[in-house]
Amino acid sequence: MKRRTRSRFGGLNIEKHMPLFFILPCIIILVTVSVFPFVYSLFLSFNSWELAMGEPRKFVGFANYGRLFREPRFWDSMWNMGKELIFGVTSQFVIGLLIALLLNRVLKVRSLISTLFLLPMMIAPVVVGCNWRMIYHFTYGPLNYILKMLHISREGFNWLGSTHLSMTSIIISDTWEWTPFMMIVLLAGLQSIPLELYEVARVDGASRWQQFWNITLPLLKPIIIVAVLIRGMDAFKIFDLVVLLTQGGPAGSSETIAYYNYLVGFKYFSVGYAAALAYIQLVIIIIIANIFLRFLPEKEAVK
Amino acid sequence: MREKKYVIILIFLVISFALIVFLTPIFWMVLTSFKEKGEYFTYPPVFISRTFDFSHFKRGLEIGGQKGIIDSFVISSLSTLLSMVVGSLAAYSLARFRIGGKHLAFWILSIRMMPPIASILPLFLFYRFLRILDTYQALVITYSILNIPFAVWMLKGFFEELPAELEEAALVDGAGRFSAFYKIALPLIAPGLVATALFCFMFSWNEFFFALILTRSRVTPLTVVIAGMIGGHEILWAEIAAVATMASFPVIAIAVILQRYLVRGLTLGAIKG
Repeated sequence: MKRRTRSRFGGLNIEKHMPLFFILPCIIILVTVSVFPFVYSLFLSFNSWELAMGEPRKFVGFANYGRLFREPRFWDSMWNMGKELIFGVTSQFVIGLLIALLLNRVLKVRSLISTLFLLPMMIAPVVVGCNWRMIYHFTYGPLNYILKMLHISREGFNWLGSTHLSMTSIIISDTWEWTPFMMIVLLAGLQSIPLELYEVARVDGASRWQQFWNITLPLLKPIIIVAVLIRGMDAFKIFDLVVLLTQGGPAGSSETIAYYNYLVGFKYFSVGYAAALAYIQLVIIIIIANIFLRFLPEKEAVK
Repeated sequence: MREKKYVIILIFLVISFALIVFLTPIFWMVLTSFKEKGEYFTYPPVFISRTFDFSHFKRGLEIGGQKGIIDSFVISSLSTLLSMVVGSLAAYSLARFRIGGKHLAFWILSIRMMPPIASILPLFLFYRFLRILDTYQALVITYSILNIPFAVWMLKGFFEELPAELEEAALVDGAGRFSAFYKIALPLIAPGLVATALFCFMFSWNEFFFALILTRSRVTPLTVVIAGMIGGHEILWAEIAAVATMASFPVIAIAVILQRYLVRGLTLGAIKG
């Protein structure tokens, strides 16, 4: 009790405000490195500032946003990202769910197996890009060799060098990298479903398919929504694989929105326009997240 | 649930096949790092090298790998340290006092989800103004955007699992809140602290986007070194594979050490609890 009175400092009761002191450093850092930049970014997006030309910054209102909507390169890069969002996330979900369902049925050695499955998402995306760059190599890569051996393709595919395939190749690599995430999240969801439910269903004569459709899927729904949402938001960030595999080429066929935004900001140094690009993504992400979370049952507070 | 024998065998076969598909690219990288020049530029591809010498690892270290490892190690360690100190304090406050309610906690988590492209531009200008581009501190501070929210949420979970009685007993005995936190709560969640720190280290170690933009030549994190090696006109695959293998080594070690906490750390934000 003596201590309590001693920790008064200039009339301020430190002990009483301890919770605040504990959290203050965290809030100060996050505000300076994250919130302040977000606000400043919004301000920048209403300005024209060509850093490379050495011109002074000037206020242009919504001109950057107008330019963005007229720019075909913006729509193309959005569509490339959209392909990843639609096909990439879907295949990650389907393959991840299949593996999770299978793993859920074998009880032993699950921990070791799931650790091995997680390696692709744990090693650096840059390393993943390197690996796939070797694997996709047109003449010397093992992938084309295997396809030729199995008589699937005669000459092999030009994975990274053709405008039709470049985005597909990125999506395949990304699926390889992130399916483990879906798998582990869904597996955790499956394990939280009480086994009694299935026993009751079996007594009632429900088939495996009916059990899956009427018990597993509905109970898994909140976790599916959150997992798909997280991967969907990640699709906007897909950058490392683009840099390592194609640099957006050939002919811009694999230029995603994150890569385009990077070029505008840090190769052409159009600061205002780059900020507008970033902000439009932020708005879309927030809209998507809100739509998704609306499907979430109210009670199930998912962290 | 009891399964028939052939069903179990079938499941194991499918899982093994999937496992092979998911691990082959990693094996390919390790195997390539041992290959001679003639072996990675031939058709049909050589799968296992005839010569198992470590010369490419040495060469890889010489052409930037060593500097990359040192820089990445320093940056990741400092950023982890910063995030753990700041994060554990904040997590304790959120877990024990429910400060700010649910909203503050979610706000902290949401920062981690935002696209990095939206914050990098002002940060770049800010660091340019401060003349700290291409230094350790720029990356250490920037990585706290990713690491602090992560550390806060991981540690908050560990603190919540810890019964409050021990700290309350200490408070009754006259200890201050801070010493209750520092001397009692922290040591009790030591395994959680280690797990969280290793995750923070791994995220920083693997990060590429911020590293690429915020560094030039004085500081060269390992990921930037590897990406730079691919850009050249003559690509030294064996050396790249060797450096990439070395870059993956700590991560694989972390995966083995953290087995118990892997799911919790990697799915943070997706699963309740």
